[in-house]
Amino acid sequence: MGVLSDITAGEPRKLVRPVFFTVLSDLINIVPFVLVIAAVGMIFEPFIHPGTPMNLDGLWRVSAALLLYMVVIFAGEVGAYRASYRAAYAVAAEGRANLAEHLRRLPLGYLTRRDPGDLANMMMGDFTQIEQSLSHNLPQLIGALILPIFALVGLAFLDWRMAVAMFIALPMAVLIVLASSGVQRSLGSRHIRAKINAASRLQEYLNGIRVIKAYNLSGSRFVRLEKSFRELMRESIRFEGLIGPVVLLAVASVRVGLTVLVLVGVYLLLGGTLDILTFVIFLVIGSRVFDPLTMALINFPELQYHALAGERILALRREPIMQGQQHPPEKHDIEFASVTFGYGSDAVLHDVSLKMPEGSMTALVGPSGSGKSTILKLVARFYDPQSGRIVFGGEDIRNMDPEALLERISMVFQDVYLFKDTIGNNIRFGREGATFAEVEGAARKACCHEFIMKLPMGYDTPVGEGGSTLSGGEKQRISIARAILKDAPVVLLDEATAFLDPENEIEVQKAISALIHGRTIAIIAHRLKTVRRADNIIVLDGGRIVEQGSHDELLAKNGLYARLWKLQQEAQGWSIAA
Amino acid sequence: MKHALKKKTGIMRLLEIAGEKKGLLICSGILSMASAIFMLIPYVSVYYILAELLSHAADLSSVDGPLMVRWGWIALGSMIAGLITMYLGSMASHIAAFRILYGLRVQLAEHIGRLPLGYLNQTSIGAVKKTLEQNVEKIEKFIAHQIPDMFNALATVVVMFAVLFYLNFWMALVCLAAIVLGFGIQTSMWVGEQAKENVKLYYDALEEINASAVQYVQGMPAVKVFGQTVHSFRCFYDDMIRYRDLCIRFSDSFQNGFALFKTILASLLSFILPVGVLLLSQNPNSMAFALVLMFFIVLGPGTATPLYRFLYLSSSLRDISEGVDRIDAVFSEPAVPEPQHPKKPETYSVQFDGVSFSYDTTGTSARIEALSGISFTAEQGKVTALVGPSGSGKTTIANLIPRFWDVRGGAVRIGGVDVRQMRTEDLMDTVSFVFQDTFLFFDTLYENIRVGKPGASREEVYAAARAAQCHDFIERLPQGYDTLIGEGGVYLSGGEVQRVSVARAILKGAPVLVLDEATAFADPENEYKMQMALKELVKEKTVIVIAHRLSSIREADQILVLQEGRIAERGVHAELLDKGGVYRRMWNAYTDAASWVIEKGVPA
Repeated sequence: MGVLSDITAGEPRKLVRPVFFTVLSDLINIVPFVLVIAAVGMIFEPFIHPGTPMNLDGLWRVSAALLLYMVVIFAGEVGAYRASYRAAYAVAAEGRANLAEHLRRLPLGYLTRRDPGDLANMMMGDFTQIEQSLSHNLPQLIGALILPIFALVGLAFLDWRMAVAMFIALPMAVLIVLASSGVQRSLGSRHIRAKINAASRLQEYLNGIRVIKAYNLSGSRFVRLEKSFRELMRESIRFEGLIGPVVLLAVASVRVGLTVLVLVGVYLLLGGTLDILTFVIFLVIGSRVFDPLTMALINFPELQYHALAGERILALRREPIMQGQQHPPEKHDIEFASVTFGYGSDAVLHDVSLKMPEGSMTALVGPSGSGKSTILKLVARFYDPQSGRIVFGGEDIRNMDPEALLERISMVFQDVYLFKDTIGNNIRFGREGATFAEVEGAARKACCHEFIMKLPMGYDTPVGEGGSTLSGGEKQRISIARAILKDAPVVLLDEATAFLDPENEIEVQKAISALIHGRTIAIIAHRLKTVRRADNIIVLDGGRIVEQGSHDELLAKNGLYARLWKLQQEAQGWSIAA
Repeated sequence: MKHALKKKTGIMRLLEIAGEKKGLLICSGILSMASAIFMLIPYVSVYYILAELLSHAADLSSVDGPLMVRWGWIALGSMIAGLITMYLGSMASHIAAFRILYGLRVQLAEHIGRLPLGYLNQTSIGAVKKTLEQNVEKIEKFIAHQIPDMFNALATVVVMFAVLFYLNFWMALVCLAAIVLGFGIQTSMWVGEQAKENVKLYYDALEEINASAVQYVQGMPAVKVFGQTVHSFRCFYDDMIRYRDLCIRFSDSFQNGFALFKTILASLLSFILPVGVLLLSQNPNSMAFALVLMFFIVLGPGTATPLYRFLYLSSSLRDISEGVDRIDAVFSEPAVPEPQHPKKPETYSVQFDGVSFSYDTTGTSARIEALSGISFTAEQGKVTALVGPSGSGKTTIANLIPRFWDVRGGAVRIGGVDVRQMRTEDLMDTVSFVFQDTFLFFDTLYENIRVGKPGASREEVYAAARAAQCHDFIERLPQGYDTLIGEGGVYLSGGEVQRVSVARAILKGAPVLVLDEATAFADPENEYKMQMALKELVKEKTVIVIAHRLSSIREADQILVLQEGRIAERGVHAELLDKGGVYRRMWNAYTDAASWVIEKGVPA
């Protein structure tokens, strides 16, 4: 049942229609069989009772019925086709929509940590597999399981002993298949390990290829890669070799029914308790009845493979979404009260308490890994803290609608994403419905106007996906223009953005100055000189606040800040010389 | 392009690339065919039992019970033999598939190792990875499953029709005609203008929805920040509904044809029986003909089932040849040509002599960055700095020294030897480069540093680490130098990774050092340490440095100021300042930027 839920991405009820129509069509297909059996009876009749003439009229009628009945088969096929394909596309579309909606409401932090390629692939590729199972594999499998039951019941009326003989080994096949899932999993773990290992070796080889070449390591690194490929090949073969017999054993135990049927039939026939025609009917049916089941068994691994896609989707759907509906109040002071937070089990921030009054500028400084950017991410509710409270304008942000909160916050971080759209529209993203004059105004303030006008089509120049045609500094300034247009009262800023593009540093600096004018600002600072006029400088180390105060106060304390300051003064005077 | 005609495509090309003999596949084919024939025998058994029953129908006591039982056992035996040969055939094809994948991966990896460094950037590597990952499964499925299936189906159909035609021409012909009709209807849906148009529409829509999904997911963080997820969601939703509707229309257009196809193949007996009855009516008392008719009834419907397997053949073949084309695109990327008579330099000054260069930008949206008429000498033991606005060509110059690319005109020489005359290995031993995109292997820190000089002793590694200012932070790690990096190990900060890469370069001790002054790295403590590390690295080497911060190259022995691919000015710091040209302007801008203070209430 887990498989059913996985393969429909949590919507097993969607299967009812396609399965119903497929089974209906399968049942429709039984009728010609019955007609053929009737014909077989008629053909046998003169030989069983010599002297009776061949019932040619009857045979003609059966033939005519068979030909006419093709219309019914056709109708059945159309019904099954429509039900399966339409259901498949509908389930996939609905599933994609639900996943997209879920994604939209996941914490930002989760989204930024996942590989977007993975997520997009889940959205498209995995659902394509689900389409495939819904339109093909699953109805086929379920039909193949239901038909023998109908056959068993129907034939039991004819002769229950023969009917039982025919399907006597079926329970064994079911047991083998059920057991095989477990076997497959335990056998599969080594295979999967080899797969992962080969993938990461390849990843390392490709990503490190420049280093490998630069240090003449092609030999040894290549050996490592080659070994992992060889191991993968060996494990794949081993896995296939061991899992194959299980499936075939199941097939064999289904098909053994024919021989059992023959043996029991001959015994009963010679014993005089079975009439010849019944035996003939069972033989004709017995030659065909196992085919759908065999096909289903052979295709079962594929179904399981598709179920993995569903499992991935369901796992994502289980990721908790952000709660909270309230709108943030009109005040914009920010307070952390004993906040502890970690991405995994290890805390990155320990018991952090701080205040950022409305309209003030707070700088966060400290060595890398000290928790500076984590604090900014918590303000914007990328994540919720494990303990403690973050208060925005007097309200716990946990009660706020995450998007409404984000409307009050502008962020200028190092990674900028530009949409595959015109530059103008990319800036307009800051505020929907902004006029062209407003867009241009923001662009001017962010020092983008000049370079935009140099582009072939000005503001209408299309940007590649992710902004691939612009330099780092240019992208950065566009993101600042966006933020200026958004005009949010709180600005979160990573100062490093200013020197992403050293040649255009001044431009970016001007843009940042325009952005932060008159707002509540929290800024991650790397060059201490830049933030020495901040109202409050918070010095972090190892996820704890070690000092805070103004520049002069902190220098006077002669602690970590003073040490960092001195180091930077020295670095300033540095010069490369042989 | 003449030889292109002879070039193998699809599966044959795949075998060629992977260096795989056809033996295993032929083996698999033979076993699959054998399996097909074994699997037909149970039907034959049923037929013989029916024949036995029919011929003694009038008098049951004369029925040969043991004979029928024997046929029952034969059915079982041949079914088991059929499954075993099927298993062996499938194993042969799986082994072939896995070997082909192995060969393919190894060949590709080897070829990539020979490509110019310039080609191997993030984009191209990403494309290669995608090619490998996406095509591997299709190739595996095709070789491992579809090939034996095909042989199986072929053998079944050929044997069946041979027997059917031998037994009765007319009934066999009707059976064949019905099958041909069914497949005719099926394929007719795929040919013709309308169908082609539909297929194109479908693929276009698929591409569009894929792009839409990627944009939706990748842009999600940005969209969220601007509170437009609902809008963005609606756009994606609309795209998806459009795609769904198109799919449904697309599949609807196949509905009747496909249903008819299935109806015909499921109703072969409906075609056979009337002909059989017609023939029977001419000779109603012939036991022989009645038996033939029984044979057709038992085996006739089975002729269609294997043919279903051919349905997806053409789309699989298209997938495979498309995948192979993509893999071939990587193989057709020319490797770095190695010199016939390699030379080694004795001294290590770097000389550019009238170098011109331009990137091959066909098909990329990158800006064209070119060099023309670049001539300079970077003396051994001196520091030469390259400065200039982004896009001026300073990175390009640096890239030409370790031969990321080959020059278009002029020459780059080390100690008088053209770099193209040097073996790649020797060139790499001569030149160290520390660029911004550093990479650590999934290995211990110790091994990661020792990469610089594989035979280095423990002491040498420590010394390099100390010089590169990494020793302290490494010692603080849980397992010190034996700490694993990445993948379940420790993740280092950007600055730490930089310093490890500098340690490597120090250990390598190559006489020419090309350096991207990447010290503008994000945190103050690391920045200072990086600078200390670099100081150690540049001692007594020919140093060429790409400078971003002018203050760090004030003391360089030679500063080359680049502008639009040419050297605009050259000299030492003081001279260039006096000139009052490009460098002077850059210096002024730089000193302004360096004194930047973020303040509230300073409107732009």
